[in-house]
Amino acid sequence: MNKYLKKMQSAFVRPVAMVFLIIVMVVMASSLVSSAEAGSQAVKPAYALVNCRIFPVAQPVIEKGTIVIRDGLIEAVGPAEKVQIPEDAEIIEANGLNAYPGLISAHTNLFLETKEQSQTAAPEDYLAAFSQPTEPKELPWLQIVEKVKPKKQTVEAYHRIGITTVVVAPHEGIFQGQGVVLNLNSDQVNEMVLAQPWALHINFTTERGVYPSSPMGTLAFLRQKFFDTQHYSQHLQRYRQSPQFLKRPEYDPFLEALLPFVIDKKPIVFQCNNLEEIKRAVKLIKEFKLNAVLTGCNEAWRVSQQLKSASIPLLVTLDFRPPASSVYAQQGQATREKAEKEIYPANASNLAKEKINFSLTSFGLNDTNFVKNLRAAIKAGLPADQALRALTIEPARTLGLDKQLGSLEPGKIANLILTKGELFDEKTSIVKVMVDGTLFTYEEKGQ
Amino acid sequence: MREKIKKTGLLLSLLVFFLSSASWLLAGGDLLIKNATILTVTGNTIPNGDVLVINGVIKQIGQNLTAPAGVRIIEANGRYLMPGIIDTHTHIALSGTNEGTDAITPEVTMAEVVNADDTSIFTALSGGVTMVHTMHGSANVIGGTNVVLKLKWGKPSEELIVKEAYPTLKFALGENVKQSNRTLLPGRPQRYPATRMGANALIRSELMRAKDYMAAWDHYEQLKKSKNPPANLLPPRKDLRLETLADLLRGKLIARCHAYVAPEMIEFLNLSREFGFKIGAFEHAWEAYKITNELKAAGVGISVFIDSWAYKMEAAEGIAYNAAYCTQKGLLVSINSDSGERIRRLFNEAGKSVKYGLTQDEALKLITINAAKQLGVDRLVGSIEVGKQADLALFSQHPMSAYTRCEMTIIEGDVYFDREALLKERAAASTKKGGLS
Repeated sequence: MNKYLKKMQSAFVRPVAMVFLIIVMVVMASSLVSSAEAGSQAVKPAYALVNCRIFPVAQPVIEKGTIVIRDGLIEAVGPAEKVQIPEDAEIIEANGLNAYPGLISAHTNLFLETKEQSQTAAPEDYLAAFSQPTEPKELPWLQIVEKVKPKKQTVEAYHRIGITTVVVAPHEGIFQGQGVVLNLNSDQVNEMVLAQPWALHINFTTERGVYPSSPMGTLAFLRQKFFDTQHYSQHLQRYRQSPQFLKRPEYDPFLEALLPFVIDKKPIVFQCNNLEEIKRAVKLIKEFKLNAVLTGCNEAWRVSQQLKSASIPLLVTLDFRPPASSVYAQQGQATREKAEKEIYPANASNLAKEKINFSLTSFGLNDTNFVKNLRAAIKAGLPADQALRALTIEPARTLGLDKQLGSLEPGKIANLILTKGELFDEKTSIVKVMVDGTLFTYEEKGQ
Repeated sequence: MREKIKKTGLLLSLLVFFLSSASWLLAGGDLLIKNATILTVTGNTIPNGDVLVINGVIKQIGQNLTAPAGVRIIEANGRYLMPGIIDTHTHIALSGTNEGTDAITPEVTMAEVVNADDTSIFTALSGGVTMVHTMHGSANVIGGTNVVLKLKWGKPSEELIVKEAYPTLKFALGENVKQSNRTLLPGRPQRYPATRMGANALIRSELMRAKDYMAAWDHYEQLKKSKNPPANLLPPRKDLRLETLADLLRGKLIARCHAYVAPEMIEFLNLSREFGFKIGAFEHAWEAYKITNELKAAGVGISVFIDSWAYKMEAAEGIAYNAAYCTQKGLLVSINSDSGERIRRLFNEAGKSVKYGLTQDEALKLITINAAKQLGVDRLVGSIEVGKQADLALFSQHPMSAYTRCEMTIIEGDVYFDREALLKERAAASTKKGGLS
């Protein structure tokens, strides 16, 4: 036997083995290269979540169902008896667990350097600080995707509160720049991007020392820029048609950045920090026929009639702090705290009563406060199913991603969460999260 | 003082409480006020008179009037009923005061930043004030357009705006626009203008730019309408700053100019003649008494403080006789608050003018009909007359007395301040555990 083998090795096996080895090495090397380069493009495994209670959002609840996921997408959803489990799928036993679409927070400032961090070291003497020129921070062309630095820790923290998709919006200046929609599937920006750019973000902020520095100045500034963009566009178009005997328009990067939004009606998000800012935004939107969304809006219930007739999508924050201009903020701490506890949490339920569609966001909140305030909003009268819609299908629609996100339906992106207990209950914990078909498993709270 | 602040705090907290119930605010605009001493301002005083208000308008004034069924009757018991007080110069109920980064900002519009949540509105109501001309600040040579509001506390901001009032544009001269009382930050240049000559020159040059702007648009419109318009005709750039100034030159806006000393007022009168724009009034106008003839010839009134002079250099030659003397010389004079606090005692401020030579009737006019005339709303408010809007204030004693206080404030027949009801509510609330509930 030994003799025979040795013969074979020398005569035949050795070259074959060499070739085989080489092939294996090449294949391994190439697969390494491809997985590193292609990222999410690599084929992901198939899963079958079985025996779970499914809240598909778009359809009625399925008491005992199966969800099949293949290569990052939902392949099938339905009652256990109707869904065939593919042979190659890894089975995840989810008996006693509830499945929901992953939640969407359509306005955050996640993964961005905060203002404190971005400030350069303090100058040695205060005179130098004064003499530093104050640069206006108007950056309508800013792509926030270029500034995003995802952190694994934050991704996990958001998974634990059920959020799988976020809008990251810029947060400085009036024309703040353009936001991005990210799927929280990893900490690699390019793999995470769902829509880029999502929208131009505008805030009625007033920064001291630079024009404009007042609410009325900000409005005039916005209006002037919108008029200028219209005029610039008119001039550009005319020049493209017949450049002869017409002076060319001077290149204006600011107005160039505004063209897609003011002229081609790509979405603009207006941040409305109090009820008057909602009215001001609605007025501007009507005046310039903008395709707009309002965000913030924690006083939206106070202008519900106007919002009802305007039918502008709303991204309502669960931040219940009364704005400084509010009557509830001008009369001492006791009144302000009372309003924060009792009046502002009812914003969403009041909007629901008026049959106004809205999304809920975590804007201005950290992960802990988001959950706490979401429960407070439900306690203040917001039906839980409406809260779920406001964090899934509603924001998906507003973001123009309702074909991919917002419900558990075949063909959509596999963003889902598995919970022990009903989603918004006090004792509920999120045990598994799937984003783009990538599975994350979390230990239960307190264990 | 601390006790007072506490009390005001409680009063305001109560108000939030009322806003939620709000039943007493919605009186429906119908009222019968019985047995009041009616200070009509434009006519004779009527002792033991009645005023019937239907749908917010004064329907009848007389004696022994009867109310239609269901109309609320207010027993005045001889107390004093006067027209709601009008403040011609204040900055309350706004989200901002100055766009101070530039000396020329006529593009900003105060009507767009009304804040109906400002508790100064309620403070003002407690002093019988029903209407305010709330303005851009005096940081800029040309500020923004101002707005006239009725103090309908609890109503949304858009319902406060008085559309019938003159549209006005704020100008300012002197120390505030020169920034002479500011510490110049090292490394930052002094903002132009730094002198009164500079302010004057700046206004002139801006108005000349506005004229050019108007000409450019006229030229464009002309070409557009012509038989053979040029092939590549484009409209000029729309400039909101110059649009507003063009409106001033077209007579669609009226200037209200913050000025202290006589020469700067004379300069501004000259500018108005040179460019053909209208001046509504000079604000503060401490040295108006020196130039009454010139002001009278130009038909320009003044909106002033009564006796708080000498608080800065340019107010050094101010005198407490200013308002009274200018009234006697035939100028249209009003007393303003310029403050969210003084606004609740404007009747005291007007009352002081009696010491400086006016009759009580003349003094009353300073905060009622004169103010209404300056704002272009005298056909609607400013006196108690049949057909006028029922903006009224009920005082415990003659409002020009030092011992009086405001008991009730009414706008268009709705009660917005009722001292007695408020005190009762306060007492009720304080007996509850924890005060408010």
